[in-house]
Order: sequence, then C-alpha cells, then structure tokens
Amino acid sequence: MDFDGLSVDQAPPITAPLRFFATAPLFALLAGFFIFFSDAATLSSRFAPQTVAITHAITIGFFSFVMFGALVQMLPVLAGVKIARVDKVSKISYALLVMGTLGMIFGLWFELSKFLLVAALLLGGGFLLLITVMLFAFRTVVHVNASIRAMITSLVFALLITLLGAHLLASYGIGKFGALHHLFANIHSVWAIFGFAGILIIGVAFHILPMFYVAPRFEPSFQRFVTPMIGAALALWLVLNLFAPSYTVVAKSLIVLLFIVFALAALSKLNARRRKVSDITIWYWKSATLFMVFGALTWVANDFFDEKYSVVVSVLIGGGFIFSVMSGMLYKIVPFLVWFHLNAKGYMSIPTMNDMINKKAAKWQFALFIISLVGFTLSFFIVELLGFFALTFIISMVLLEFNIISAVLIYFKTIKTKPDFDMSMFTMKTE
Amino acid sequence: MSTIKGFLSEDHGRCDELFAKMEDAVTQSIENAKEAYDAFAEATERHFQMEERVMFLEFEQKTGMTQGPTAIMRHEHAQMRNLLAEMGKAIEAKDKDKFFGNSETLMILMQQHNMKEEQMLYTMAQQHLSAEADRIVDMMRSMIVE
Repeated sequence: MDFDGLSVDQAPPITAPLRFFATAPLFALLAGFFIFFSDAATLSSRFAPQTVAITHAITIGFFSFVMFGALVQMLPVLAGVKIARVDKVSKISYALLVMGTLGMIFGLWFELSKFLLVAALLLGGGFLLLITVMLFAFRTVVHVNASIRAMITSLVFALLITLLGAHLLASYGIGKFGALHHLFANIHSVWAIFGFAGILIIGVAFHILPMFYVAPRFEPSFQRFVTPMIGAALALWLVLNLFAPSYTVVAKSLIVLLFIVFALAALSKLNARRRKVSDITIWYWKSATLFMVFGALTWVANDFFDEKYSVVVSVLIGGGFIFSVMSGMLYKIVPFLVWFHLNAKGYMSIPTMNDMINKKAAKWQFALFIISLVGFTLSFFIVELLGFFALTFIISMVLLEFNIISAVLIYFKTIKTKPDFDMSMFTMKTE
Repeated sequence: MSTIKGFLSEDHGRCDELFAKMEDAVTQSIENAKEAYDAFAEATERHFQMEERVMFLEFEQKTGMTQGPTAIMRHEHAQMRNLLAEMGKAIEAKDKDKFFGNSETLMILMQQHNMKEEQMLYTMAQQHLSAEADRIVDMMRSMIVE
C-alpha cells in the first residue's frame, strides 16, 4: 500500500494547484470583455466563432483550470494516490493550456487559422498529459469507492472530449467542416458538461459536503449507482444520436432526471447539515443545485422548441451550476491550502482561513455573479441588456480574482517576512 | 468480534457530532459555550491518545514502521491540538471571529485526517492486527486519558 498521500512532504507543492486557481478567474474576466464587445444576435447562435470563443474562455479557461487544479490537489487526499512528477506535469500542462486557450480564443475571434491549429495541438497535448498521468496514478488504488469511480469515469470522458475538441478546433483552423461536425460538437459539449464536469462534481460532492459542512452522507446505494447510470445514459444518448435521432429525448430525460435527483439530494443534505454556520460557499452550493434543476428542465424543454434556447440552457447549467460550484470550491480550498502549507512549514501565528478573504468582498462577488446570470438569461430576450450585465459579470470576476489573490498573497508574504518562526514544530517533523 | 477500524471510525463520528454541537453552542452564545467546547476537546484528546498510546504502538511494533504513517498522523494530531488550544483561548476571550476561524480550519484538517485514517491506516491496522483486535479495542476502551 502506498502511503505517500498521507505525508505533507509528498503532497503536491502549493504552487501546483494555485497556479491553476489564480489563473481561472482571469479567463472568465476575458470572457466578460468579449461578451461586452459582442452583439447579442451573434451570440444567440451557438456555432458562431465568437460564441465558441467565449464559451471556451469559460469552459477551458475557468472550469477546466479549477477542476484540474483541484484534482492535482485532491487525488492524494481523496484517493490516496500519488501523481507522478506532479510539479513538472502541472507546470508543463499549465503552460500548454494557457497558450492553447489564448490561441483558441483569439484565433476564433480574429479569424487567425494558424492560431487555431497550434491551439488544437497545445490544448490536446496539455489535457492529454494531465489526464493520462492522473488515470495512470489510479492504478495503485486498492479500495475503489464511489468517489474514486466517479473521478475515473469523469477523466475518461475528459479524454474523449479532448480528442473530439482537438478535431473540432482543427476543423475551424482549416476551414473545412465534415458532415458530422455539428453532431461531434454536440457530443463534445454534452459529454463535457455532464460527463466530465457533472460526474466529477457529483463524485467530489460525496466527500466534500460531509467533510466541509458535516452534512449527512449520501446513501451508499445512491453513491454506488448514480455516476455509472449517468455514464450509461450519456452512452445511450450517443447511440440514439447516431442511429435513432428522434429518440434522443429519452436518454436526455434520463440524464436530466439523474442530475435533478442529485441536485435535490445535495440541497437536502446541505439543509440537514450539522454545521449550521453559513458562508459564501454554502450559498454557492445551494444556488448551484437550484440552477441545475432549472437548467436541466430547460434543456429537455429546448427539444420541443427547435433548440432555440440552447444559450439559456448553457447560462443556467454552465453558469448557474458548474461555475457556482467551482467558485464555492475556490473560496474553500485556497484559504485552506494557504493555511495548511504555512502551518506545515512551521509558521504558527498566521491568519485563520476565515480571515484570509474579505467577507464583504466575497458577498458582493456572489451577488454580482448571480445578478449577471439572471441578466444574461434576460438578455436573450431583451438584447439591449447584454452590455450592462457583461459589466456586472466583469466586476464580479475582478472581485473573484482579488479575493483569491489576497489569500495567495498571504502565503507568499509570510514566506518572505518569516514572522515568529516557531522551531518547536520541527521537533514534530517526521521525516 | 470488534474491529479496530469499526471502533475508531465510530469514534470519529462521535467527535464530529460533538464538534457540531460545540459550534451550535458558540453561535447561540459564546459565553455559555465552554461546556460544549470541553466535551469536544475531551473526546478528541481521548481519541488521539487511544491511537497514540495504544493502537499506533501496537501497529509500530507489529510492522516495524515507526517513521511511516503513524508518525505523520502524530504530526497532524499536534497540528489539531494547537488549533483546539486556540479555540479554547477564543472562548475565554469571547472572540467569536477568532473561534470560528480556528474551528473552520480544524474541521477541514480533521476531516482530511479522518479520511486518511479510515481509508488507509485503519484498514492496514486491521489487516496486521486482526488476531489481536479484541484485546486492542478493549485496551483503548479502558484507557485513562493522561
């Protein structure tokens, strides 16, 4: 059995997850500027290059950065596995992904086809490196529980959407679209949202909700079945899309049902939590579950309206569910990591994790974010509103970055100034 | 037959429950929370000592691993004792902010710690010490906290 996950020294260096976490809001900020400078009519088409650019500033730049940052940090703790050469892998993949994402966004926006081809390579390389190293790390797990199974399933989906995504992006690059382009794009987006992000969030929630909030555990049978069933429903959805497109709504309803059950279960666990203290992360989790329910219903209903409301669906599920969960996680993980690593280095009089982020700034950030989501939905019907809500979103992302960075800065300041270095901790050092 | 894993995991649950009660008490009024704090602090200290003075020793003797997982767990116990002491001081000073800052940190640290123990160390202890599980659980039960 491998005990590396138990050790502070073997845990990934704090910079490995932090560089992903600190960069993510910047990409969302960039998306905000692009929304501000685009017109609502263009954005209502999901295949317009501008729409694809903005979507991926959020999905790659924000979602995947937060998710992979969290995976790098949590695999050792939640699954007890050690990622090979974690420092080097995270540095290299980070560089590839930053350049790839920027190449993709600007390439699509300014129609620079060479950028797109290079971006397809960089993004493909960066994601494949992270995904394969992580999947490889799981081979040492002895005791596979529901969370670990969910993480593995979601990484397999991540692998597939990376390959599809690289192909799709390269199609934009050479300007030739195969007959199946729209179908591939559809598979790519549905699997990314529900297969990669959705299953990962569910698997992590099994651990996180009891761990952070002393919420009751999800029932073992629910834990065991829900993610394999989502995986099966997503596979069924693909098969129906290929061979019986008029029946896809069956698989869709199944996927939606499973996510709604999860969302409502998570909400009831949160309400029944033993730890009554409420903070910004609870608000984010609760709003995420509600947006998931609305978003999922809209996604099914969308089928009966010629898919006219796809943009609204993306705002509700992508923004309301995934973005909310990711933001809530950032507010929890970053201060804890800063405290944990400083404490492990022997610094004793450091701010508690509660004092690292200004609570007022966090509340404003949350409020502006929710206002922006509602506003983006409204803008679909009243296009003149988009500019204003792009602004509220921009301010919200500036605040998010400020809040994250203020915790990160405490770490580097403390390391630099070395207040009351407590040597007694070193007698406790184990290795 | 008792199992070491079952016994200690259950005790984690008991400590979690006392932790939540303590936070409830402080939310209501920090002036009257001393009792709930003491209950949690005592249960936690007892749990630490059951491990450090009984189970870890048996494990180390059996496996010869003294610098391995048990050493890391002892180190984390030290971190948690520190936070507990800070929380005690906050209650005395009636400083709610300071209390929740430390209790929040303790909560996450404690849950990560418990997860590592329940998933790895206890499972391993159960494998190595299964023949003596009854005796070890009895010793932990009857141990007097120092």
